[in-house]
Amino acid sequence: MRTRIPEKWDMEFDVVVVGWGMAGTAAAVTAHDDGAEVLILEKMPDGGGNTRVSGGNIIIPKGKEFVDYLDALSFMTTDRGIIEVFVEYAMKNGDWIREMGGDVQVFIPLQVAYPETTPGAGFPHIRGAETVVKYNIKGTLQEGKPSERLWNFLSGLVAKRGIKVLTSTAAKELISSLNGEVIGVMAEREGRMIDIKARKAVILTCGGYQNDSQMKWDYLPVKPVFFFGTPGNTGDGIKMVQKIGGDLWHMTRLSCLIGFKAPEFEAAFPINFLSEGFIFVDKYGRRFVNEAGIEVHEYYSALTPFDVEKMEFPRIPFWAIFDEQTRRRGPLSRGTAGYNRDLYSWSLDNSSEIAKGWILHGKTVAELAAKISTAPKALEEQVDRYNGHCQIGRDADFGRAKEDLRALEPPFYAIQLWPALINTQGGPRRDKESRVLDPEGQPIPRLYAAGELGSIWGYLYQGACNIGEALVFGRIAGRNAAAERPWS
Amino acid sequence: METEIAAKNFVIHASQDRVWRLVGKVILNSLPGMEEVEILDERNFRAFLRVRVSLLKLTMRLKGEIVDMVPPDSLVVNIALEGLRGLFRMNQKVTIDITSIDQGRTAVACQAMAESMGILSRGMFLRQARRFAQSVFETIEKRLQDLA
Repeated sequence: MRTRIPEKWDMEFDVVVVGWGMAGTAAAVTAHDDGAEVLILEKMPDGGGNTRVSGGNIIIPKGKEFVDYLDALSFMTTDRGIIEVFVEYAMKNGDWIREMGGDVQVFIPLQVAYPETTPGAGFPHIRGAETVVKYNIKGTLQEGKPSERLWNFLSGLVAKRGIKVLTSTAAKELISSLNGEVIGVMAEREGRMIDIKARKAVILTCGGYQNDSQMKWDYLPVKPVFFFGTPGNTGDGIKMVQKIGGDLWHMTRLSCLIGFKAPEFEAAFPINFLSEGFIFVDKYGRRFVNEAGIEVHEYYSALTPFDVEKMEFPRIPFWAIFDEQTRRRGPLSRGTAGYNRDLYSWSLDNSSEIAKGWILHGKTVAELAAKISTAPKALEEQVDRYNGHCQIGRDADFGRAKEDLRALEPPFYAIQLWPALINTQGGPRRDKESRVLDPEGQPIPRLYAAGELGSIWGYLYQGACNIGEALVFGRIAGRNAAAERPWS
Repeated sequence: METEIAAKNFVIHASQDRVWRLVGKVILNSLPGMEEVEILDERNFRAFLRVRVSLLKLTMRLKGEIVDMVPPDSLVVNIALEGLRGLFRMNQKVTIDITSIDQGRTAVACQAMAESMGILSRGMFLRQARRFAQSVFETIEKRLQDLA
């Protein structure tokens, strides 16, 4: 563990919050309202993190049976006591938002795309699934997409309170006293290092490591894997906690969809199909999954098989093969979420992406196969076989539902797809009080964490729970940090 | 003034939940010529509708807003259609009510109401609008029957 107590502090606050998304806002606002003088540090030019470019959905369960559901999903990776606390607070997420002057509405989408975010439980067969209800900030499309409305609401809470925010200021190290208490943060601002004293506590809410290639290669079960959210999540909080001897958990866990990666964009584009006329094939032209049947946040699980003979992931990357009707039905990337949302507008009929070479086309399957370097015969056989399943209304290979089947008709198109992260889940191990723990399970004094940085989601993930969890443990961290007695 | 332009009632041999799940998938695919669909958020979408009216091939702008949704009982969508550079305008309210009859049978009631039509649109296109809405409901019924 490093200790370095500055002779002179550049700034001084009661509570320093590192990272400004959902968790950072909840922590900062709660600490402020409990009487603490709060500073938020954000390394990007603007706040919002993944929250700002997410789907914007917040879990508000309608019953305590949600504990059983999450306990099953956690597969013994998270203590049930932590889940109980989460559910207790999550049931009040709506109340908190209303107390803060906002309101929520139930998220009920029509199921019109593949793969699609379901309005309810991702795993409806598990006990307690009926308690899953997703909400978003009440408002209309004219007031913004759900995540834009959420961020407008959150950033408004910070502005209204006059909480000081330093953007373009990257926390680099936690400063510890000789007895192991975290007493400040060293940060980089305008090209120089500054020491910020935290009289009461530091709260880390700076997200996961979706944009750190080495950490992803080290920890995640699919390789390589791109990301949809903010490029700002580079594992900073994990590295800072490791330097002072904190423990880590859930490092192999992820919420991961499928996406297209264009070299000129840092983040990937989320991909959905608005018509049933599509299949997925691996590098060798083989179909490998019920394309419409995987829980959307766990899509990576279809891509994990590793071929030890060829020493490769044969499904990374893979190809989506689709037809003219699907091409014309609507844009493959809808722009409702993701970092690229504000950087690029996908053409409605996908023609611009064909012109760019992002989408390949062929009048026949053989012509398309030649363009994607797949054995023409294998791909032709696969398309014929799938079309045969559609004719009889039964997918004998992967059980794709009758209503999700439609035969592919020429001309054909292909787009290369990769696993792409919504976010990683791993980070500092913490307890139900949001305290960061050391490898012996002891809290590191005056250090808290919340949100995607060491989230409580240790195995399967239920949609809308990351924002819900950030809101819950952000509040808990803020309350506890404000209640600490100043060390000086 | 609201005018009913089409209605259809039918029974599907499936549970109410199953019919509800299918309805979402069936609706978009029952609109022939619907292309370039933009899902704006969970309640709003817009698209182009390429339709044939008599000998004319028309491209119309379509805006859809789900104004009420009570799973698995009902769905109300407001649809605004505009074509011929604004010459044709129509707002429709489409209601789909799904009612359980017994464990294996579900009643579906579809209704399209024209909410506002200019005199010109009414004179020129009302018959086509009726025919189009009726054919959409028939396609929805056929698709639901096939999938149930």
